[in-house]
Amino acid sequence: MSYLPCGTYFESYADDQKWWRTNFIKGKMIFMVVLLAAAPYIVGSQWMSVFYTINYYILAALGVQLLIGYCGQITLGHAAFVAVGGYTSAMMVLFLPWPQFMVDAGLVYPISIVCAGFAAALWSVLFGLPSARVKGFYLIMTTMAAQWITLRLVITQLSKIGGREQSFPLPPGIIKIGPWVIDSDEKIYYFSVILVLICLVAMGNLLRSKMGRAWIAIRDNDIAAETMGVNIVVYKLLAFFVSGFFAGIAGAFWISALFFVSPENYEWFYSLLWVGIILIGGVGSIQGIVFGSAFVVIVFKLLEISVLGLSDILMTSYPEWGWVTTKIIFFKESAFGLAIIFFLIYEPNGIAYRYWQLKNYFNLWPFSYTGK
Amino acid sequence: MELFLQLIVTGVMLGSIFALVSLGWVLIYKCSGVLNLAMGELTMIGGYVCLAFYQKFVTIMPVNYAFVLALIGTVIIGLILGLLTERIFLRKMIGEPVLAVIMVTVGLSFFFKGLVFMIWDTDTQVFLPRIFSIEPIVIWGITVGAVYLWSFIAAMVLMVIFICFFKYTRWGLSMQACADDEMAALSLGVSAKFVYALAWAIAFMAAGVGGTLLGNINGLNYSVSSLGLLVLPAVVLGGLNSVPGAIVGGITIGILQNLAGGYGEAYVPGSKEVAPFVFMVIFLLFKPYGLWGWERIERV
Repeated sequence: MSYLPCGTYFESYADDQKWWRTNFIKGKMIFMVVLLAAAPYIVGSQWMSVFYTINYYILAALGVQLLIGYCGQITLGHAAFVAVGGYTSAMMVLFLPWPQFMVDAGLVYPISIVCAGFAAALWSVLFGLPSARVKGFYLIMTTMAAQWITLRLVITQLSKIGGREQSFPLPPGIIKIGPWVIDSDEKIYYFSVILVLICLVAMGNLLRSKMGRAWIAIRDNDIAAETMGVNIVVYKLLAFFVSGFFAGIAGAFWISALFFVSPENYEWFYSLLWVGIILIGGVGSIQGIVFGSAFVVIVFKLLEISVLGLSDILMTSYPEWGWVTTKIIFFKESAFGLAIIFFLIYEPNGIAYRYWQLKNYFNLWPFSYTGK
Repeated sequence: MELFLQLIVTGVMLGSIFALVSLGWVLIYKCSGVLNLAMGELTMIGGYVCLAFYQKFVTIMPVNYAFVLALIGTVIIGLILGLLTERIFLRKMIGEPVLAVIMVTVGLSFFFKGLVFMIWDTDTQVFLPRIFSIEPIVIWGITVGAVYLWSFIAAMVLMVIFICFFKYTRWGLSMQACADDEMAALSLGVSAKFVYALAWAIAFMAAGVGGTLLGNINGLNYSVSSLGLLVLPAVVLGGLNSVPGAIVGGITIGILQNLAGGYGEAYVPGSKEVAPFVFMVIFLLFKPYGLWGWERIERV
């Protein structure tokens, strides 16, 4: 399937570089889109929150994958850029004096998404500036600094606007795209699917362009790239810009699912979670982001369900063990930590590599000639 | 002026705790090249273990003895945990790419944090009965909290012990050799595995004592781990692989944090937490390898 069938020859470079080169791939993609569109009716709407959480993680991890997996710039502060996106969008929707016709036409939220993307991108470039001079651990420290500085600024400066507490609730009906008001789990899900598809395609296209090739050259060896004529400062900053833009979109999307913004959704934990997701999924692979996000969210959900089931049993038969259920969050965190460690030790190439192996196996089935 | 002096003195004393913890961090980096992001959690574990010991011991003996015994217990537990961590998780990562090793330490930090909160819960806990009196001590007109003074003394004593250990003992010398040139050390019969294990054990011990002292100052809760993370700006300031740099960096961060807390908080709330990181980012723009870090010359 990843190989071309016999007898298919391309006559131009453009044909060879196309997204969908054969009818089979085209069919596969159309099937996938249909499957995504029909998902709420197949699995039931109670699972929609899991699905759009996966999509949110995909959006957020996209930027991390770009920086770490394609440009080789390690970032551990991505939640800060997502926070900038979320807050920009929320502040714009809540506090800007929009003319009435724009509110009626539902333009406010889409405009705020784009602005959130640019705000987060600029903020990200600001913290990417040291990457011109430092790399490795020193760069990790500057991105970590971004996390601390941004979150502190948000908590101390923004949370005072309007004299509210730390979170800004978004009144129902305010998140509106054109004529559609986003108010139910299914609508959030569809919105997230559309955003994810757009962003994944954009990312894939960027990586095929001059810019993407420059990023990959920098990742593989930045000094060699520089001698080959790649302006590494510009391209590193571009990588920060684009990844910040994706982060901003992710942040702006997530407020439509939460209906509020509050700093605790942008803790350092999330920065690390997204890096963990791309490591579990596979570094340097777009599919890896999807696999990693799905793996993490579903494992968390299963842990939750199993512990909740366990708590019922405990409550009825062993009431003195009831405290176990209050520790579920910490258990989840510990389990996630161990999952990262064991993936890195035993599966350093991530799930995407296993998927690739599986695909190859079935390509050649039943005449596989590799021992693996 | 008096306020300024007082902030500086308290800053030095607080910074000495950071210096102690950063010493452990730098050791791991020098000996095994691992960039450890779990230092905050190591600090927190130390604090909680000491608290548990203290609460046990204080029922059967006077406060001072109980605390000293608890501290010794913490060091021993730190030693065991350090050896175990190195053996189970880090030894398998020798020779892997940098990001993978860093993320293993991040995984460790999640694991330890979850573990600590599973056992001790998230509520703030304090050492009761108090070990250090609340009465401040006045030295040359500068008031200093007793707990700060004792922390300073304890951190200094421990640092002197560690430095003597590196300079004059066989194990310490083998660690120095390994940090200087690993290949040469290996060919002369130094066991790298032993050195790595030793480095992790020492880091756990130093962080444990640091966590106990920090816990005595503010009470034990999650914030101890974010205070423990302040060692990262400290080591970056000093350059990653320099022991004196770590000590100077730790003390600088302590002073900076106190000054920002004393003067900046009125204008920019939250500057106490942000100041070390802002300072670090700006500092890195001008001196990318810290004060005494090795400049790496790269070739294709």
